[in-house]
Amino acid sequence: MAFNYDKYLRLEKMPTLWCWGCGDGVILKAFVRAVDKMKLNQDDVCVVSGIGCSGRFSSYVDFNTVHTTHGRTIAYATGIKLARPDKIVICVAGDGDALAIGGNHTIHGCRRNIDLTMIIINNFIYGLTNSQTSPTTPKGMWTVTQKAGNIDPTFNTCDLAIAAGASFVARESMLDPKKLEKAMIKAIEHKGFSIMEVLSNCHINLGRKNKMVSAMENLEWIDSITIPKKKYDAMSSEERLNLLPTGILKQDLEADEYCEMYAEIQKVHKGERKVITRDDFAKKI
Amino acid sequence: MGTFKTENPGNQPVWVNTSNCKACDICVSVCPSGVLGMVYESTSTLGAMISINNPESCIGCNECEISCPDFAIYVADRAEYKAAGLSFAKLTEEAKERQAAIIANKYMSLNQGAK
Repeated sequence: MAFNYDKYLRLEKMPTLWCWGCGDGVILKAFVRAVDKMKLNQDDVCVVSGIGCSGRFSSYVDFNTVHTTHGRTIAYATGIKLARPDKIVICVAGDGDALAIGGNHTIHGCRRNIDLTMIIINNFIYGLTNSQTSPTTPKGMWTVTQKAGNIDPTFNTCDLAIAAGASFVARESMLDPKKLEKAMIKAIEHKGFSIMEVLSNCHINLGRKNKMVSAMENLEWIDSITIPKKKYDAMSSEERLNLLPTGILKQDLEADEYCEMYAEIQKVHKGERKVITRDDFAKKI
Repeated sequence: MGTFKTENPGNQPVWVNTSNCKACDICVSVCPSGVLGMVYESTSTLGAMISINNPESCIGCNECEISCPDFAIYVADRAEYKAAGLSFAKLTEEAKERQAAIIANKYMSLNQGAK
């Protein structure tokens, strides 16, 4: 008997529709194992996904699931969380989903610090629609919308989330599923907005056009651009060029959580207390 | 309907559900002891299929199972495997050399010739 995946997945949907070697499958597996390790009840977890290859995530897991519109995972998830603060709500979005069309939702989710976990699967391209430039496509790569090579600067997802005020920010790659599983447990346990950027591969729509034909070649490229945070911190700024640190980049336990403050607002309207003042907040500005 | 074959088919350290495998080479690349390798298979989409060539050198590290995107490969639970009176192998130099040779052979089993 190996690990029992049957319990958490919708078997009638298997095998997955993702391409061979797609990192989404590894992330799905790490997520299922993380939920199993935390011994969560399946009815207490809600998975919200957007549009894209990562959007299929919610159709494969046997939890409460919502497959929402493009980029609006945070909007739906905020509604679910405010209505049922006792449930654990997980958003799954791709890089085009969370940073391009849903960019505003993402930064304002971070700002509110509502207790959601957002998994951003970053494969550096719009994979589902056949390789258009996404906000994270590295410069100089061939895409169908920039056939002479991409000249657009890229988003650094984790720096964006830190600047916007997310209280837990981590980056992992799918090359190390054990670390990914541990980081996911920490992200789900964290009270407040947690963003997990997971670097994934798309050898079909990014790799084949950029000399990374197989899944393994694309993964070797991801390995070459990532470095553990400890090593990254010890580097000079010249060495840091073109590298992304992995690990937990920020964890802020003091920040006020939005659902708790929302409960206070409800008390005001019920007449249980007068108004909310600046003294109610740990972090005032 | 795809089903997972998480039940051990009979005292195996590692086993495969070939109806889920898409032949992406990831499990072969992460194995430390050269247990796995790809073989040519005309009915598969990519023309290859996973094969367990040296189950006796499996160290039970679970890397192939958690790295598989398609829920196709499984490793026996260590406690259950021990209860059945069996034990995983230790990592040997020979196994490491075999793994290096398989990677140099582009993840194909050594008896399959170069890819």
